[in-house]
Amino acid sequence: MDKRSDAKYIEQICKATWESLYRFIYYKVQNREEAEDVTQETYVRALAYLNEHNFSDKNFQGFLRTIALNVIRDRWRQRKRRGLPLNFEEVNPRETVTEDHQRDVAQRLVIENALAGLREDQRKVIELRIIKGYSVAETARLLGKTEAAVRTAQYRAVQILAGLLDENKETGVIRK
Amino acid sequence: MNEAEKRLSDYIDALNAEQEPEQLFGVAGTPELEKLLATVRTVRTLREPALPEPGYPERLAHAVVEKMQAGEGGKQKEKAKIAKSSRSRRLSPVIALAAGLLLFVLLSTWGGLFNSDVVHAMEKAVAQLANYHGTLEMRSTNAAGEEWLVRQVELWSEGEKYAVRQADGTFTVNNGERKWQLRPEKKEVALLPVVPDPGKTGFDLRDEAKRAKEYPHQVVGQELIAGRKAVKLEIQPPGGLPYYLWIDAVTNLPLQLQTAMQNGLQTTYTYTAFELNIKLDPGIFTFRLPEGYQVVEEDPGQLVLTVEEAAAISGLSPLLPQEVPVRIFAFEDRIVLDYGDTTIVETPAERTFEPEANAALGTAAGGPLEVWWERLRWHQSGLEIQIEGPKRVELARQIAVDLALPDTSSVPENRARVQVPVDMDLVKANQQQVDRGSSPWQLDPLQVAVTFVNLEVTPEGIQGKPAVPFSAFKVTKNNGVQARVEVSDGPIKQVYLERLIRQDETGIWTVVGYDPR
Repeated sequence: MDKRSDAKYIEQICKATWESLYRFIYYKVQNREEAEDVTQETYVRALAYLNEHNFSDKNFQGFLRTIALNVIRDRWRQRKRRGLPLNFEEVNPRETVTEDHQRDVAQRLVIENALAGLREDQRKVIELRIIKGYSVAETARLLGKTEAAVRTAQYRAVQILAGLLDENKETGVIRK
Repeated sequence: MNEAEKRLSDYIDALNAEQEPEQLFGVAGTPELEKLLATVRTVRTLREPALPEPGYPERLAHAVVEKMQAGEGGKQKEKAKIAKSSRSRRLSPVIALAAGLLLFVLLSTWGGLFNSDVVHAMEKAVAQLANYHGTLEMRSTNAAGEEWLVRQVELWSEGEKYAVRQADGTFTVNNGERKWQLRPEKKEVALLPVVPDPGKTGFDLRDEAKRAKEYPHQVVGQELIAGRKAVKLEIQPPGGLPYYLWIDAVTNLPLQLQTAMQNGLQTTYTYTAFELNIKLDPGIFTFRLPEGYQVVEEDPGQLVLTVEEAAAISGLSPLLPQEVPVRIFAFEDRIVLDYGDTTIVETPAERTFEPEANAALGTAAGGPLEVWWERLRWHQSGLEIQIEGPKRVELARQIAVDLALPDTSSVPENRARVQVPVDMDLVKANQQQVDRGSSPWQLDPLQVAVTFVNLEVTPEGIQGKPAVPFSAFKVTKNNGVQARVEVSDGPIKQVYLERLIRQDETGIWTVVGYDPR
């Protein structure tokens, strides 16, 4: 059996590289189960490709990310056929992989700038609900508001954010 | 509440529950709502990903191997699912109720929430930290309260790479693949091993955030540090002394660290200046030989892919834990297994095992095990194995299955035939003396025993060489709390010692009894 099919080798590779790949995928799909599935599929495809083509794995992380984007895109297409949308863009793999780090940083800065453009109470709602993941009831309790007021405030805040992010489109934010 | 508000809120709830909202609720009805949902997803990228359950890498590797061995690669339709048990995402009503109650308790205790908020915000800030450049100042304080500047360094950090410039111009770089040091005074560049890397154990923003999260901690105040408003956090490592971390109120990043007073010294690390997520010059981490400099090889080792390669280069037959290392380095006479924050170094066991005099002793592979701060060391199958880092015990047990740490839970009775009365006031004064940095020999049970025995022989004082020489003394037991020292010569056969004030590496030893010959 080729070295790349060898169980120990695969285990070594997975253990050494899974986390950064998983994080990369999670940022794209925003869901743990799907991120786990895409990660698994990515390794299978990547290792199979390396086996078949006796390809050098010098930039293995970049290679894995390229494959991951292909896997995500395939799933996106399948869903589209089934009428289920997926809210991320069909990115250009080469560009994303080579400039991914800078893009991530730039994207974060753009989002943070947009958040800074919100009123304090709106920003707090977004932080608690979307970034920290509190429920409406918990957020209402923390902010001393009613649940209905939290829902209204978050809707308004997301509307304003969408506008602010639109203004920054040219800076490279990944949007649908 | 209108339908669009409810829809957006449900969408956020589904994402927070790690569900796929599109599958639950279908397509967004209007382009405007679709745009808002996409905005939610975009903002959510600021959040730390939900990581898989523990053991995921192993399950992942297993599933990948199964699919690979099925021979159909990525084309196979039937999916080898990663253990489904890890994916019970829907809570049972009982668990949901318990979780709800727990959350209520957490929310009712504002102190706890505030603590977790500070550390959560720091964790998030650190996760978003692509790189940083700053000036780090190290100051020491002795137990008498005297303070002095130890050194000031300029440092650059990006992921696993770092570079440090000292005041004398010495410039050390570790780019993950190579480590080197430019020494302007000697006009030389020394190539150094990438791991183990003791230079990395300073005050790193990422490491400190990780530790703060792992250990019990509480907010104890707010202070101005280097002109910046900071939250002061007390961190209590299990079994250790508390130390303090100040978190910048604006950036949420660690700004200052103060260690506990150890060996009479306390160190404070402060970022007097730092800039975050900037465009770092990639040349900083690139190896270049300046003109007029010569390369000095200091056995930097080789990064190898397999243990077999490492064995061939080093001439050793290494002993391996079940857990696979992240990287393996081979040297002419040793193998280094790198597990990220923990490192295993295996070298030939050439001499008899001599533990540090001040180390606690356990057993491993049928012989003594040295337990010294964060390090374990023992001999096994002709090798000396040294493991340093937070995962040391777990990894050591995978190599030496019989490994037993010093047992300090059951302190046996002092069975000395002659009990030595202890003046606790004097012991306390001695401990304080050592904390101030003088008479450090009292931290070593061997030296305390040598002094005690020789003062018994020559009560007027030890002049020149002691009457009963050092070579006659041997530590036979040290569990970190009690120690026994055998003496092969002189009127005393065995000395019994205890750490009466503090039971860690900073505690002094006191003779509590002895057996006459």
